Amino acid sequence: MLKLDGINVFYDQSQALYDVSLQVEQGEFVSIIGANGAGKTTIMKTVMGLIKPAQGRIFFEGKDIIKRPSWDRAGMRIGYIPEGRRVFPDLSVEDNLLMGAYHSKNNVEIAKTMKEVYDVFTRLGERKNQLAKTMSGGEQQMLAIGRALMTKPKLLLIDEISMGLMPLLVNKAFSVIKEMNNQGITILMVEQNAKKALAVADRGCVLEMGQIVHQDLAENLQDNDSIRKAYLGG
Amino acid sequence: MFLQQLINGIVIGSVYALTAMGATLVYGIMRILDINNAGAYALGAYVGLLTYNTTGSLLLTFIVGMLLTGLYGVLVQKLLYVPMLDKSPNVSLIASIGLFIFLSDLIRMVAGPSIKGFHAEVPFSSIYTDSLNINGAWILIIVTTFLLLAVLWFLLNKTKIGLAWKATAQDLETAKAMGVNVNMMVALNYLLGYGFAAAAGIMVGILYSSVFPTMGDVPAYKMLAIIVLGGLGSPVGTVIAAMVIGLAETLIGGYIGFFLPRDAIAFVVLIIILLFRPRGLISKN
Ligand SMILES: Nc1ncnc2c1ncn2[C@@H]1O[C@H](COP(=O)(O)OP(=O)(O)OP(=O)(O)O)[C@@H](O)[C@H]1O
Ligand SMILES: [Mg+2]
Repeated sequence: MLKLDGINVFYDQSQALYDVSLQVEQGEFVSIIGANGAGKTTIMKTVMGLIKPAQGRIFFEGKDIIKRPSWDRAGMRIGYIPEGRRVFPDLSVEDNLLMGAYHSKNNVEIAKTMKEVYDVFTRLGERKNQLAKTMSGGEQQMLAIGRALMTKPKLLLIDEISMGLMPLLVNKAFSVIKEMNNQGITILMVEQNAKKALAVADRGCVLEMGQIVHQDLAENLQDNDSIRKAYLGG
Repeated sequence: MFLQQLINGIVIGSVYALTAMGATLVYGIMRILDINNAGAYALGAYVGLLTYNTTGSLLLTFIVGMLLTGLYGVLVQKLLYVPMLDKSPNVSLIASIGLFIFLSDLIRMVAGPSIKGFHAEVPFSSIYTDSLNINGAWILIIVTTFLLLAVLWFLLNKTKIGLAWKATAQDLETAKAMGVNVNMMVALNYLLGYGFAAAAGIMVGILYSSVFPTMGDVPAYKMLAIIVLGGLGSPVGTVIAAMVIGLAETLIGGYIGFFLPRDAIAFVVLIIILLFRPRGLISKN
Protein backbone atom coordinates (compact mmCIF):
# COMPACT_ATOMS: atom_id res chain seq x y z
CA MET A 1 0.00 0.00 0.00
CA LEU A 2 2.76 2.43 0.98
CA LYS A 3 6.40 2.12 0.05
CA LEU A 4 9.25 4.49 0.83
CA ASP A 5 12.34 3.87 -1.21
CA GLY A 6 15.70 5.42 -0.31
CA ILE A 7 14.39 8.64 1.21
CA ASN A 8 16.97 11.29 2.11
CA VAL A 9 15.76 14.51 3.70
CA PHE A 10 17.76 17.61 4.52
CA TYR A 11 16.91 20.69 6.54
CA ASP A 12 19.20 23.28 5.00
CA GLN A 13 22.59 21.59 5.41
CA SER A 14 21.79 19.04 8.08
CA GLN A 15 20.47 15.67 7.09
CA ALA A 16 17.43 14.38 8.98
CA LEU A 17 16.71 11.10 7.16
CA TYR A 18 19.29 8.72 5.72
CA ASP A 19 18.18 6.34 3.02
CA VAL A 20 14.92 5.41 4.71
CA SER A 21 13.09 2.55 3.05
CA LEU A 22 10.02 0.89 4.43
CA GLN A 23 6.88 -0.76 3.29
CA VAL A 24 3.40 -0.95 4.75
CA GLU A 25 1.02 -3.57 3.44
CA GLN A 26 -2.69 -3.18 2.98
CA GLY A 27 -4.45 -3.46 6.35
CA GLU A 28 -1.24 -3.50 8.33
CA PHE A 29 -0.50 -1.52 11.48
CA VAL A 30 3.12 -0.36 11.54
CA SER A 31 4.71 1.61 14.36
CA ILE A 32 7.93 3.56 14.10
CA ILE A 33 9.59 4.15 17.43
CA GLY A 34 12.51 6.43 18.14
CA ALA A 35 13.89 9.02 20.52
CA ASN A 36 13.41 12.78 20.35
CA GLY A 37 14.88 14.16 17.16
CA ALA A 38 15.24 10.75 15.52
CA GLY A 39 13.29 11.94 12.49
CA LYS A 40 9.86 10.48 13.13
CA THR A 41 7.89 13.62 12.32
CA THR A 42 10.08 14.16 9.28
CA ILE A 43 9.01 10.77 7.90
CA MET A 44 5.34 11.60 8.41
CA LYS A 45 5.63 15.00 6.74
CA THR A 46 7.52 13.50 3.86
CA VAL A 47 4.80 10.93 3.24
CA MET A 48 2.20 13.69 3.47
CA GLY A 49 4.11 15.82 0.98
CA LEU A 50 4.82 18.65 3.42
CA ILE A 51 8.58 18.14 3.05
CA LYS A 52 10.34 17.39 -0.21
CA PRO A 53 13.01 14.72 0.05
CA ALA A 54 16.29 15.32 -1.75
CA GLN A 55 16.28 11.74 -3.00
CA GLY A 56 13.99 8.78 -2.92
CA ARG A 57 10.57 7.75 -4.06
CA ILE A 58 7.21 7.17 -2.43
CA PHE A 59 4.63 4.78 -3.79
CA PHE A 60 1.03 4.75 -2.68
CA GLU A 61 -1.16 1.97 -4.06
CA GLY A 62 1.51 1.35 -6.64
CA LYS A 63 1.63 4.93 -7.91
CA ASP A 64 4.70 7.12 -7.52
CA ILE A 65 3.36 10.14 -5.60
CA ILE A 66 6.62 11.97 -4.98
CA LYS A 67 5.65 14.83 -7.30
CA ARG A 68 2.09 15.08 -6.08
CA PRO A 69 1.28 18.01 -3.77
CA SER A 70 -0.07 17.37 -0.28
CA TRP A 71 -3.62 18.19 -1.26
CA ASP A 72 -3.61 15.50 -3.93
CA ARG A 73 -2.33 13.01 -1.40
CA ALA A 74 -5.16 13.93 0.96
CA GLY A 75 -7.54 13.41 -1.94
CA MET A 76 -6.10 9.91 -2.43
CA ARG A 77 -7.34 9.36 1.12
CA ILE A 78 -4.18 9.53 3.09
CA GLY A 79 -5.32 10.73 6.51
CA TYR A 80 -3.06 12.59 8.90
CA ILE A 81 -3.03 13.22 12.63
CA PRO A 82 -0.19 15.70 12.98
CA GLU A 83 2.16 16.07 15.90
CA GLY A 84 0.76 18.52 18.43
CA ARG A 85 -2.84 18.12 17.17
CA ARG A 86 -2.82 21.15 14.92
CA VAL A 87 -6.57 21.66 15.02
CA PHE A 88 -7.67 24.93 13.41
CA PRO A 89 -7.90 27.14 16.51
CA ASP A 90 -10.46 29.69 15.33
CA LEU A 91 -12.77 27.23 13.60
CA SER A 92 -15.59 25.48 15.40
CA VAL A 93 -15.36 21.79 16.21
CA GLU A 94 -17.75 21.02 13.39
CA ASP A 95 -15.83 23.11 10.86
CA ASN A 96 -12.64 21.37 11.91
CA LEU A 97 -14.28 18.04 11.18
CA LEU A 98 -15.52 19.33 7.84
CA MET A 99 -11.95 20.24 6.93
CA GLY A 100 -11.03 16.58 7.36
CA ALA A 101 -13.51 15.74 4.62
CA TYR A 102 -12.48 18.66 2.44
CA HIS A 103 -11.63 16.52 -0.58
CA SER A 104 -15.02 14.81 -0.59
CA LYS A 105 -17.99 16.12 -2.53
CA ASN A 106 -20.34 13.49 -1.18
CA ASN A 107 -22.38 15.40 1.40
CA VAL A 108 -24.39 12.36 2.38
CA GLU A 109 -21.25 10.44 3.20
CA ILE A 110 -19.81 13.44 5.07
CA ALA A 111 -22.91 13.74 7.25
CA LYS A 112 -22.88 10.02 7.94
CA THR A 113 -19.21 9.99 8.89
CA MET A 114 -19.69 13.02 11.09
CA LYS A 115 -22.41 11.21 12.97
CA GLU A 116 -20.09 8.27 13.46
CA VAL A 117 -17.42 10.58 14.83
CA TYR A 118 -19.90 12.12 17.25
CA ASP A 119 -20.90 8.63 18.34
CA VAL A 120 -17.31 7.71 19.12
CA PHE A 121 -16.48 11.05 20.76
CA THR A 122 -19.70 12.25 22.35
CA ARG A 123 -17.77 15.17 23.80
CA LEU A 124 -17.22 16.57 20.30
CA GLY A 125 -20.91 16.36 19.54
CA GLU A 126 -21.78 18.26 22.69
CA ARG A 127 -19.39 21.00 21.72
CA LYS A 128 -19.70 21.14 17.99
CA ASN A 129 -20.16 24.92 17.87
CA GLN A 130 -17.32 25.69 20.23
CA LEU A 131 -14.07 27.13 18.86
CA ALA A 132 -11.36 24.48 18.82
CA LYS A 133 -8.92 26.69 20.72
CA THR A 134 -11.24 26.77 23.73
CA MET A 135 -11.17 22.97 24.08
CA SER A 136 -8.88 21.19 26.50
CA GLY A 137 -5.74 19.52 25.19
CA GLY A 138 -7.31 16.08 25.41
CA GLU A 139 -10.45 17.22 23.62
CA GLN A 140 -8.32 18.76 20.91
CA GLN A 141 -6.56 15.45 20.41
CA MET A 142 -9.95 13.76 20.09
CA LEU A 143 -10.84 16.40 17.53
CA ALA A 144 -7.66 15.73 15.59
CA ILE A 145 -8.51 12.02 15.56
CA GLY A 146 -12.10 12.77 14.57
CA ARG A 147 -10.90 15.02 11.77
CA ALA A 148 -8.75 12.20 10.43
CA LEU A 149 -11.73 9.83 10.62
CA MET A 150 -13.64 12.32 8.47
CA THR A 151 -11.03 11.82 5.76
CA LYS A 152 -12.23 8.21 5.41
CA PRO A 153 -8.60 7.30 5.03
CA LYS A 154 -7.22 4.23 3.32
CA LEU A 155 -3.91 4.98 4.99
CA LEU A 156 -3.71 6.89 8.26
CA LEU A 157 -0.53 8.63 9.41
CA ILE A 158 -0.38 9.21 13.14
CA ASP A 159 2.27 11.36 14.81
CA GLU A 160 2.57 10.94 18.60
CA ILE A 161 -1.04 10.50 19.46
CA SER A 162 -0.20 9.97 23.14
CA MET A 163 1.64 13.24 23.60
CA GLY A 164 0.29 15.26 26.51
CA LEU A 165 -2.63 12.94 27.22
CA MET A 166 -3.44 11.44 30.58
CA PRO A 167 -3.23 7.61 30.68
CA LEU A 168 -6.98 7.11 30.46
CA LEU A 169 -7.14 9.14 27.26
CA VAL A 170 -4.06 7.47 25.85
CA ASN A 171 -5.83 4.15 26.17
CA LYS A 172 -8.97 5.53 24.58
CA ALA A 173 -6.99 6.99 21.69
CA PHE A 174 -5.14 3.75 21.09
CA SER A 175 -8.31 1.70 21.23
CA VAL A 176 -9.98 4.00 18.69
CA ILE A 177 -7.14 3.66 16.21
CA LYS A 178 -6.88 -0.08 16.80
CA GLU A 179 -10.57 -0.27 15.99
CA MET A 180 -9.98 1.74 12.79
CA ASN A 181 -7.28 -0.72 11.86
CA ASN A 182 -9.64 -3.63 12.51
CA GLN A 183 -12.06 -2.04 10.09
CA GLY A 184 -9.42 -2.22 7.40
CA ILE A 185 -7.62 1.11 7.59
CA THR A 186 -3.89 0.79 7.09
CA ILE A 187 -1.94 2.62 9.79
CA LEU A 188 1.55 4.05 9.99
CA MET A 189 2.18 5.49 13.43
CA VAL A 190 5.19 7.11 15.06
CA GLU A 191 5.42 7.09 18.83
CA GLN A 192 7.77 7.74 21.66
CA ASN A 193 5.64 5.56 23.90
CA ALA A 194 7.27 2.44 22.47
CA LYS A 195 5.60 -0.02 24.78
CA LYS A 196 2.10 0.96 23.76
CA ALA A 197 3.06 1.48 20.14
CA LEU A 198 4.42 -2.04 19.79
CA ALA A 199 1.54 -3.55 21.73
CA VAL A 200 -1.01 -2.44 19.14
CA ALA A 201 1.11 -2.79 15.99
CA ASP A 202 1.70 -5.72 13.67
CA ARG A 203 5.18 -4.58 12.80
CA GLY A 204 7.65 -2.07 14.18
CA CYS A 205 10.59 -0.04 12.93
CA VAL A 206 13.24 1.51 15.10
CA LEU A 207 14.53 4.86 13.94
CA GLU A 208 17.84 6.18 15.26
CA MET A 209 19.40 9.42 14.08
CA GLY A 210 17.46 9.37 10.85
CA GLN A 211 18.17 5.75 10.03
CA ILE A 212 15.99 2.70 10.34
CA VAL A 213 18.10 0.29 12.39
CA HIS A 214 15.56 -2.49 13.02
CA GLN A 215 12.44 -3.70 11.30
CA ASP A 216 10.58 -6.71 12.60
CA LEU A 217 7.28 -8.09 13.81
CA ALA A 218 6.13 -6.12 16.82
CA GLU A 219 6.33 -9.08 19.19
CA ASN A 220 9.90 -9.86 18.11
CA LEU A 221 10.91 -6.27 18.82
CA GLN A 222 9.24 -6.48 22.22
CA ASP A 223 11.36 -9.53 22.99
CA ASN A 224 14.60 -8.07 21.64
CA ASP A 225 16.94 -7.34 24.55
CA SER A 226 18.69 -4.27 23.19
CA ILE A 227 15.39 -2.70 22.20
CA ARG A 228 13.88 -3.51 25.57
CA LYS A 229 16.80 -1.72 27.22
CA ALA A 230 16.73 1.30 24.98
CA TYR A 231 13.01 1.85 24.47
CA LEU A 232 10.92 -0.29 26.76
CA GLY A 233 12.55 0.48 30.07
CA GLY A 234 14.43 -2.81 30.53
CA MET B 1 -23.75 69.25 8.72
CA PHE B 2 -23.03 66.20 10.86
CA LEU B 3 -24.94 63.90 8.55
CA GLN B 4 -23.08 65.36 5.64
CA GLN B 5 -19.71 64.65 7.25
CA LEU B 6 -20.86 61.21 8.26
CA ILE B 7 -21.80 60.25 4.72
CA ASN B 8 -18.61 61.79 3.45
CA GLY B 9 -16.63 59.69 5.93
CA ILE B 10 -18.42 56.50 4.92
CA VAL B 11 -17.64 57.18 1.27
CA ILE B 12 -13.96 57.63 2.03
CA GLY B 13 -13.97 54.65 4.36
CA SER B 14 -15.53 52.51 1.62
CA VAL B 15 -12.73 53.32 -0.77
CA TYR B 16 -10.15 52.55 1.88
CA ALA B 17 -11.84 49.27 2.75
CA LEU B 18 -11.82 48.08 -0.84
CA THR B 19 -8.23 49.14 -1.35
CA ALA B 20 -6.95 47.51 1.83
CA MET B 21 -8.98 44.30 1.58
CA GLY B 22 -6.62 42.69 -0.91
CA ALA B 23 -3.61 43.36 1.29
CA THR B 24 -5.50 41.92 4.26
CA LEU B 25 -6.47 38.74 2.42
CA VAL B 26 -2.91 38.28 1.24
CA TYR B 27 -1.48 38.88 4.69
CA GLY B 28 -4.03 36.51 6.16
CA ILE B 29 -2.69 33.56 4.21
CA MET B 30 0.86 34.40 3.22
CA ARG B 31 1.92 36.65 6.12
CA ILE B 32 3.46 39.16 3.74
CA LEU B 33 2.69 42.82 3.20
CA ASP B 34 1.88 43.57 -0.41
CA ILE B 35 2.26 47.28 -1.12
CA ASN B 36 1.67 46.65 -4.79
CA ASN B 37 -1.98 46.16 -3.89
CA ALA B 38 -2.16 49.96 -4.17
CA GLY B 39 -0.61 49.64 -7.62
CA ALA B 40 -3.66 47.60 -8.54
CA TYR B 41 -5.73 50.61 -7.52
CA ALA B 42 -4.02 52.84 -10.09
CA LEU B 43 -3.84 50.15 -12.76
CA GLY B 44 -7.53 49.41 -12.31
CA ALA B 45 -8.41 53.08 -12.68
CA TYR B 46 -6.52 53.31 -15.98
CA VAL B 47 -7.91 50.08 -17.38
CA GLY B 48 -11.34 51.26 -16.28
CA LEU B 49 -10.90 54.62 -17.98
CA LEU B 50 -9.76 52.97 -21.20
CA THR B 51 -12.74 50.62 -21.10
CA TYR B 52 -15.13 53.45 -20.40
CA ASN B 53 -13.78 55.57 -23.24
CA THR B 54 -14.07 52.71 -25.71
CA THR B 55 -17.38 51.19 -24.62
CA GLY B 56 -19.18 53.92 -22.68
CA SER B 57 -20.55 51.26 -20.35
CA LEU B 58 -19.99 51.67 -16.64
CA LEU B 59 -20.75 48.02 -15.96
CA LEU B 60 -18.13 46.90 -18.48
CA THR B 61 -15.72 49.41 -16.96
CA PHE B 62 -15.98 47.64 -13.63
CA ILE B 63 -15.93 44.14 -15.05
CA VAL B 64 -12.96 44.64 -17.35
CA GLY B 65 -11.04 46.81 -14.89
CA MET B 66 -11.47 44.39 -12.02
CA LEU B 67 -10.90 41.28 -14.09
CA LEU B 68 -7.73 42.41 -15.86
CA THR B 69 -6.27 43.85 -12.68
CA GLY B 70 -7.18 40.68 -10.81
CA LEU B 71 -5.43 38.60 -13.46
CA TYR B 72 -2.41 40.85 -13.15
CA GLY B 73 -2.47 39.98 -9.45
CA VAL B 74 -2.62 36.26 -10.19
CA LEU B 75 0.35 36.70 -12.52
CA VAL B 76 2.58 38.58 -10.07
CA GLN B 77 1.87 36.18 -7.24
CA LYS B 78 2.84 33.23 -9.46
CA LEU B 79 5.97 34.84 -10.85
CA LEU B 80 7.08 36.90 -7.88
CA TYR B 81 5.54 36.27 -4.50
CA VAL B 82 5.14 32.50 -4.36
CA PRO B 83 8.79 31.86 -5.32
CA MET B 84 9.79 34.19 -2.47
CA LEU B 85 7.63 32.56 0.19
CA ASP B 86 10.44 30.60 1.79
CA LYS B 87 12.53 33.77 2.18
CA SER B 88 12.06 36.29 4.97
CA PRO B 89 8.84 38.32 4.66
CA ASN B 90 10.96 41.46 4.23
CA VAL B 91 12.08 40.17 0.86
CA SER B 92 8.57 40.14 -0.54
CA LEU B 93 7.73 43.44 1.17
CA ILE B 94 10.62 45.13 -0.61
CA ALA B 95 9.79 43.35 -3.86
CA SER B 96 6.23 44.62 -3.61
CA ILE B 97 7.44 48.20 -3.10
CA GLY B 98 9.68 47.80 -6.13
CA LEU B 99 6.84 46.42 -8.19
CA PHE B 100 4.58 49.24 -7.06
CA ILE B 101 7.09 51.88 -8.20
CA PHE B 102 7.71 50.02 -11.42
CA LEU B 103 4.00 49.84 -12.14
CA SER B 104 3.32 53.52 -11.60
CA ASP B 105 6.27 54.39 -13.84
CA LEU B 106 5.05 51.96 -16.44
CA ILE B 107 1.66 53.65 -16.35
CA ARG B 108 3.39 57.01 -16.73
CA MET B 109 5.36 55.80 -19.74
CA VAL B 110 2.38 54.21 -21.45
CA ALA B 111 -0.39 56.68 -20.63
CA GLY B 112 1.65 59.83 -20.11
CA PRO B 113 2.52 61.74 -16.95
CA SER B 114 -0.37 64.21 -16.99
CA ILE B 115 -3.74 63.95 -15.32
CA LYS B 116 -6.37 62.34 -17.50
CA GLY B 117 -10.03 63.20 -17.27
CA PHE B 118 -12.48 60.44 -16.26
CA HIS B 119 -15.94 61.77 -16.96
CA ALA B 120 -18.34 58.94 -16.45
CA GLU B 121 -22.07 59.09 -16.29
CA VAL B 122 -23.20 57.64 -12.99
CA PRO B 123 -26.55 55.83 -12.78
CA PHE B 124 -27.45 57.66 -9.57
CA SER B 125 -28.61 61.24 -9.53
CA SER B 126 -27.19 63.60 -6.98
CA ILE B 127 -29.30 64.65 -4.02
CA TYR B 128 -29.24 68.28 -3.05
CA THR B 129 -31.20 69.70 -0.13
CA ASP B 130 -30.56 72.67 2.13
CA SER B 131 -28.44 70.75 4.54
CA LEU B 132 -27.38 67.76 2.49
CA ASN B 133 -25.34 67.49 -0.63
CA ILE B 134 -24.89 63.97 -1.93
CA ASN B 135 -23.04 63.42 -5.13
CA GLY B 136 -24.22 60.60 -7.44
CA ALA B 137 -20.67 59.20 -7.43
CA TRP B 138 -20.87 58.87 -3.65
CA ILE B 139 -23.93 56.71 -3.96
CA LEU B 140 -22.15 54.63 -6.57
CA ILE B 141 -19.24 54.14 -4.17
CA ILE B 142 -21.38 53.16 -1.21
CA VAL B 143 -23.59 50.80 -3.19
CA THR B 144 -20.71 49.11 -5.04
CA THR B 145 -18.65 48.71 -1.89
CA PHE B 146 -21.59 47.25 -0.05
CA LEU B 147 -22.21 44.76 -2.85
CA LEU B 148 -18.58 43.69 -3.15
CA LEU B 149 -18.16 43.30 0.60
CA ALA B 150 -21.40 41.33 0.77
CA VAL B 151 -20.08 38.97 -1.90
CA LEU B 152 -16.84 38.58 0.02
CA TRP B 153 -18.66 37.98 3.28
CA PHE B 154 -20.79 35.32 1.67
CA LEU B 155 -17.77 33.67 0.11
CA LEU B 156 -15.81 33.61 3.37
CA ASN B 157 -18.61 32.57 5.70
CA LYS B 158 -21.06 30.52 3.70
CA THR B 159 -19.00 28.48 1.27
CA LYS B 160 -16.52 25.65 1.37
CA ILE B 161 -13.89 27.87 -0.22
CA GLY B 162 -14.35 30.35 2.60
CA LEU B 163 -13.90 27.61 5.18
CA ALA B 164 -10.73 26.51 3.44
CA TRP B 165 -9.54 30.13 3.32
CA LYS B 166 -9.94 30.48 7.07
CA ALA B 167 -8.29 27.14 7.74
CA THR B 168 -5.37 28.08 5.52
CA ALA B 169 -5.00 31.44 7.26
CA GLN B 170 -4.87 29.68 10.62
CA ASP B 171 -2.52 26.83 9.72
CA LEU B 172 -1.29 26.66 6.17
CA GLU B 173 0.61 23.39 6.52
CA THR B 174 -2.25 21.49 8.10
CA ALA B 175 -4.73 22.91 5.60
CA LYS B 176 -2.55 21.52 2.83
CA ALA B 177 -2.52 18.12 4.49
CA MET B 178 -6.32 18.23 4.71
CA GLY B 179 -6.56 18.61 0.97
CA VAL B 180 -6.70 22.36 0.43
CA ASN B 181 -4.99 23.44 -2.76
CA VAL B 182 -3.28 26.42 -1.19
CA ASN B 183 -1.84 27.60 -4.50
CA MET B 184 -5.38 28.09 -5.68
CA MET B 185 -6.31 29.87 -2.46
CA VAL B 186 -3.45 32.31 -2.92
CA ALA B 187 -4.36 32.91 -6.56
CA LEU B 188 -7.97 33.53 -5.58
CA ASN B 189 -6.77 35.96 -2.94
CA TYR B 190 -4.97 38.02 -5.54
CA LEU B 191 -7.79 37.83 -8.06
CA LEU B 192 -10.25 39.19 -5.49
CA GLY B 193 -7.89 41.55 -3.71
CA TYR B 194 -6.51 43.25 -6.80
CA GLY B 195 -9.99 43.28 -8.29
CA PHE B 196 -11.34 45.10 -5.24
CA ALA B 197 -8.50 47.63 -5.33
CA ALA B 198 -9.24 48.18 -9.02
CA ALA B 199 -12.87 48.91 -8.23
CA ALA B 200 -11.76 51.46 -5.64
CA GLY B 201 -9.41 53.11 -8.14
CA ILE B 202 -12.13 53.28 -10.79
CA MET B 203 -14.60 54.87 -8.37
CA VAL B 204 -12.14 57.43 -7.07
CA GLY B 205 -11.26 58.23 -10.68
CA ILE B 206 -14.94 58.84 -11.38
CA LEU B 207 -15.43 60.79 -8.15
CA TYR B 208 -12.64 63.25 -8.93
CA SER B 209 -13.15 62.95 -12.69
CA SER B 210 -9.47 62.21 -13.11
CA VAL B 211 -6.72 59.63 -12.93
CA PHE B 212 -2.95 60.06 -12.73
CA PRO B 213 0.04 57.69 -12.54
CA THR B 214 0.87 58.29 -8.88
CA MET B 215 -2.72 58.11 -7.66
CA GLY B 216 -1.86 54.94 -5.72
CA ASP B 217 0.74 56.64 -3.52
CA VAL B 218 -1.50 57.97 -0.79
CA PRO B 219 -3.69 54.82 -0.68
CA ALA B 220 -0.48 52.75 -0.41
CA TYR B 221 0.50 54.10 2.97
CA LYS B 222 -3.01 54.56 4.26
CA MET B 223 -3.72 50.96 3.39
CA LEU B 224 -0.82 50.02 5.66
CA ALA B 225 -2.29 51.99 8.55
CA ILE B 226 -5.67 50.37 7.98
CA ILE B 227 -4.55 46.77 7.84
CA VAL B 228 -2.43 47.21 10.96
CA LEU B 229 -5.32 48.88 12.73
CA GLY B 230 -7.67 46.14 11.55
CA GLY B 231 -5.57 43.52 13.31
CA LEU B 232 -3.51 42.25 10.33
CA GLY B 233 -5.31 39.63 8.33
CA SER B 234 -8.85 40.17 9.60
CA PRO B 235 -11.31 41.14 6.83
CA VAL B 236 -13.91 42.41 9.30
CA GLY B 237 -11.25 44.37 11.17
CA THR B 238 -10.18 45.95 7.91
CA VAL B 239 -13.65 47.24 7.14
CA ILE B 240 -14.02 48.65 10.64
CA ALA B 241 -10.58 50.24 10.56
CA ALA B 242 -11.23 51.73 7.13
CA MET B 243 -14.46 53.30 8.38
CA VAL B 244 -12.78 54.59 11.53
CA ILE B 245 -10.05 56.25 9.48
CA GLY B 246 -12.49 57.59 6.88
CA LEU B 247 -14.74 59.07 9.57
CA ALA B 248 -11.83 60.42 11.57
CA GLU B 249 -10.52 62.22 8.53
CA THR B 250 -13.79 63.90 7.69
CA LEU B 251 -15.00 64.56 11.21
CA ILE B 252 -11.70 65.77 12.61
CA GLY B 253 -10.93 67.64 9.41
CA GLY B 254 -14.44 69.07 9.15
CA TYR B 255 -15.13 70.06 12.72
CA ILE B 256 -11.97 70.62 14.60
CA GLY B 257 -9.84 71.62 11.72
CA PHE B 258 -6.39 70.23 11.98
CA PHE B 259 -2.95 71.65 12.09
CA LEU B 260 -1.63 68.72 10.10
CA PRO B 261 -2.53 67.81 6.54
CA ARG B 262 -5.62 65.65 6.27
CA ASP B 263 -3.64 62.64 5.08
CA ALA B 264 -1.74 62.62 8.38
CA ILE B 265 -4.90 62.03 10.40
CA ALA B 266 -4.90 58.33 9.55
CA PHE B 267 -1.55 57.95 11.25
CA VAL B 268 -2.44 60.02 14.28
CA VAL B 269 -5.48 57.77 14.72
CA LEU B 270 -3.31 54.71 14.18
CA ILE B 271 -0.85 55.78 16.85
CA ILE B 272 -3.53 56.65 19.36
CA ILE B 273 -5.46 53.40 18.89
CA LEU B 274 -2.36 51.23 18.94
CA LEU B 275 -1.39 52.82 22.25
CA PHE B 276 -4.54 51.35 23.75
CA ARG B 277 -4.97 48.27 21.62
CA PRO B 278 -1.50 47.19 20.51
CA ARG B 279 -2.86 44.34 18.39
CA GLY B 280 -5.32 46.46 16.49
CA LEU B 281 -9.06 46.90 16.74
CA ILE B 282 -9.85 43.25 16.14
CA SER B 283 -7.28 40.89 17.49
CA LYS B 284 -7.18 37.15 17.48
CA ASN B 285 -5.65 36.60 20.87
N1 LIG C 1 12.13 22.79 10.32
C1 LIG C 1 13.32 22.27 10.69
N2 LIG C 1 14.46 22.94 10.41
C2 LIG C 1 15.66 22.42 10.76
N3 LIG C 1 15.82 21.24 11.37
C3 LIG C 1 14.72 20.53 11.66
C4 LIG C 1 13.42 21.01 11.33
N4 LIG C 1 12.51 20.09 11.74
C5 LIG C 1 13.22 19.10 12.31
N5 LIG C 1 14.55 19.35 12.25
C6 LIG C 1 15.61 18.48 12.76
O1 LIG C 1 15.49 17.21 12.16
C7 LIG C 1 15.69 16.18 13.09
C8 LIG C 1 14.48 15.26 13.14
O2 LIG C 1 13.36 15.99 13.64
P1 LIG C 1 11.92 15.36 13.80
O3 LIG C 1 10.99 16.43 14.19
O4 LIG C 1 11.60 14.57 12.59
O5 LIG C 1 12.16 14.37 15.02
P2 LIG C 1 11.12 13.52 15.85
O6 LIG C 1 11.63 12.13 15.83
O7 LIG C 1 9.75 13.75 15.36
O8 LIG C 1 11.31 14.12 17.31
P3 LIG C 1 10.24 14.28 18.51
O9 LIG C 1 10.12 12.95 19.16
O10 LIG C 1 10.86 15.28 19.40
O11 LIG C 1 8.97 14.75 17.90
C9 LIG C 1 16.00 16.87 14.41
O12 LIG C 1 17.40 16.89 14.58
C10 LIG C 1 15.46 18.25 14.24
O13 LIG C 1 16.22 19.17 14.96
MG1 LIG D 1 8.09 14.48 16.19
